[in-house]
Amino acid sequence: MAKLLGSRTALVVTSIAVVVAAALLTRYGQKQALVIGVITGAGYGLVALGLVLIYKSSGVFNFAQGEFGTVAVYTLYGVHDLAGVPLVPAMLVGLAASAAMALATEQIVIRPLFNAPRVALLVATAGVSLLAISLELWLGEARLRFIQPALGRLDRISVFGIQVSDQRLLVLAALLMLAVLLGLFFSRTNVGLAILGVSQEPVATELMGISVRRLSSFTWALTGLLAGIAGMLTAPVVGSFGPGFLTSTSLIPAFTAAVLGGMTSLPGAFVGGVVVGVAQSLAVSAPAFKEIPGPGAVMVFVILVVVLAVRPQGLLGKTS
Amino acid sequence: MSLDEGVDAPPVVEQSDAVAEPIIVETPPPFRPSVLGWVARGLVLVAVAAVVVLVPATASNVDVLRYSQAVIYAIIGLSLNVLLGYTGQISLGHQAFVGIGAFTSAYMVTVHGQPFIAAVGMAMVVGGLQALFLGAVSLRITGLYFALVTLAYGTMAEESLFNIQSLTGGSAGQPAPKPAGFTTDLRYYYLCLAFLALVIWVDWRLMKSKGGRALSAIRENPRVAATFGTDVKVYTLMAFVVAGVFAGLGGALLAHNDTFVVRDLFNFQLALVFVIMTVIGGLRNRAGVVIGSAFFALVGHFFEKLFHNGLDLPVLKVLPKEYAPIVIGPMLLLFTLTRHPGGIGQQIRPLQRWLRGGRFSFKDTHDSEVRVSDVRA
Repeated sequence: MAKLLGSRTALVVTSIAVVVAAALLTRYGQKQALVIGVITGAGYGLVALGLVLIYKSSGVFNFAQGEFGTVAVYTLYGVHDLAGVPLVPAMLVGLAASAAMALATEQIVIRPLFNAPRVALLVATAGVSLLAISLELWLGEARLRFIQPALGRLDRISVFGIQVSDQRLLVLAALLMLAVLLGLFFSRTNVGLAILGVSQEPVATELMGISVRRLSSFTWALTGLLAGIAGMLTAPVVGSFGPGFLTSTSLIPAFTAAVLGGMTSLPGAFVGGVVVGVAQSLAVSAPAFKEIPGPGAVMVFVILVVVLAVRPQGLLGKTS
Repeated sequence: MSLDEGVDAPPVVEQSDAVAEPIIVETPPPFRPSVLGWVARGLVLVAVAAVVVLVPATASNVDVLRYSQAVIYAIIGLSLNVLLGYTGQISLGHQAFVGIGAFTSAYMVTVHGQPFIAAVGMAMVVGGLQALFLGAVSLRITGLYFALVTLAYGTMAEESLFNIQSLTGGSAGQPAPKPAGFTTDLRYYYLCLAFLALVIWVDWRLMKSKGGRALSAIRENPRVAATFGTDVKVYTLMAFVVAGVFAGLGGALLAHNDTFVVRDLFNFQLALVFVIMTVIGGLRNRAGVVIGSAFFALVGHFFEKLFHNGLDLPVLKVLPKEYAPIVIGPMLLLFTLTRHPGGIGQQIRPLQRWLRGGRFSFKDTHDSEVRVSDVRA
């Protein structure tokens, strides 16, 4: 109970900090960066959710997470933009591709290494990531592709005096809906509860008659779906993608977000994603950082090191 | 050359205490090869040395560039081996280590007009310093989290450090001419070979020293090592500095081999290729790491050669050479991790034992094999 309360306190503190930061930013004219950061950050949060899910179920830092999403984007591009299939069925095909890749990774790479140390698994998932990137380079001819936005034309809508493109609003709406759905999934459905159970007490869950292996496959497929959604939502906002798209844009921010959230907390990962997104967006737009090239990457690195050094259990993680 | 050097190394520290079943040590009759046996061993070593020295001499200039690259990759592989193999720390940002060396050397030569040797020295110093910084981080953050930090570090270097216009020339890159006296590709190849020999020698001597034994103790169990009075911090930092110096050297040599450094070279894929070639080479086996690294530097080249010589495999037509290492690499990596955790080093161990004057046998390849699992988590 104390633990739960503790994590609640952290949540409250974090929320207050976020509100204060938002107020300050609005005061100092960085509203635009704030909104863009929140939306980008929600995308990071989605990838981070997948990372946390896999870490909880398999104890792996999954470096292939970004590539699950990139594969979905490539599939969407091939089916929708090239073959002319309507958007919604094409997105479903894309999701199927990312889930299939995640499932294949679990079956071919993670299963045989079940008893191997975690670092061997990490190297293995990095290998999967590199394999996917190189296949995209090879088959996708190593160039940037331009993907049509989901909405026919690019409009800028004014919300509370901030210009936001309708693409971003669409992404935000989809992400919020997804967050609610995931919340319900993990608190209301048997499968969702079983996944949480396995991540906390695998042996006890097994004794309750739940197949840990089947759940592991399910979790991987689910994270594949999450990465696929993240990829297919962000690619049209960026407008173009290339080999290793989601890995290069989101993997490290998402890991940072997951670490910020304590690596085991699902809401923490999502909140962490938003925090990292806003921080990065501010670093890019703030005049103070004009002189530094690549301020976004520097910001993410600094956050990661500071969090790991000062508060390794993250904002919402359990102290152990 | 490489094999020859690696063979002098003693067998790696015994792992047998981790094996479940006790090994009954019988005193075996000491085996001494006959005169003919020694001659045969000598001939093999000479043949290996001849291949390394003479093949590039007969190759075209473009090919020699690739061979030099293979030698430089071997240096980089040995650098990563210090971290992965000796300290058990994984680095997914090694492209930054190498890139910093490359840009430092190019900057010294092109902007400040310094001689080659001073530039390489500077690259090694800067490489060592930045590794020291990351090593300090690793003292607090270990295992998977440290891997994450190195990954973020590599990306930060790629997007930020290598974009500082005045130091790296930005997206245009920085020229790095070949040093005076080594302007031909072949001569530069021999220079790289000399540096590789130096790196192997330093690595070998270091691992024989008190520091090397301390490192293996720390890798096995940092707490036990600390209990026995080993200064964990100092020796971990030492290993990082050594790895950084080697990587800086490798980067500088790479810059002058290509005669131009561009930041796009040092991307995440390259970092993964470095990790893969070291793991497949076999951790803590110098000869294995050298072979593995050279293989990944040359695999695309071999494909091209085979294709050029009329070998008609459908795969060769489809798979362009520049993608060969990164397509084949991960497949080999997954195969290595799941089936042969000792990598190439494990495969060549019978040969190494034989060359060192032992019997040639495939037996007891298991007791001293090195696993990826030695990397600390």
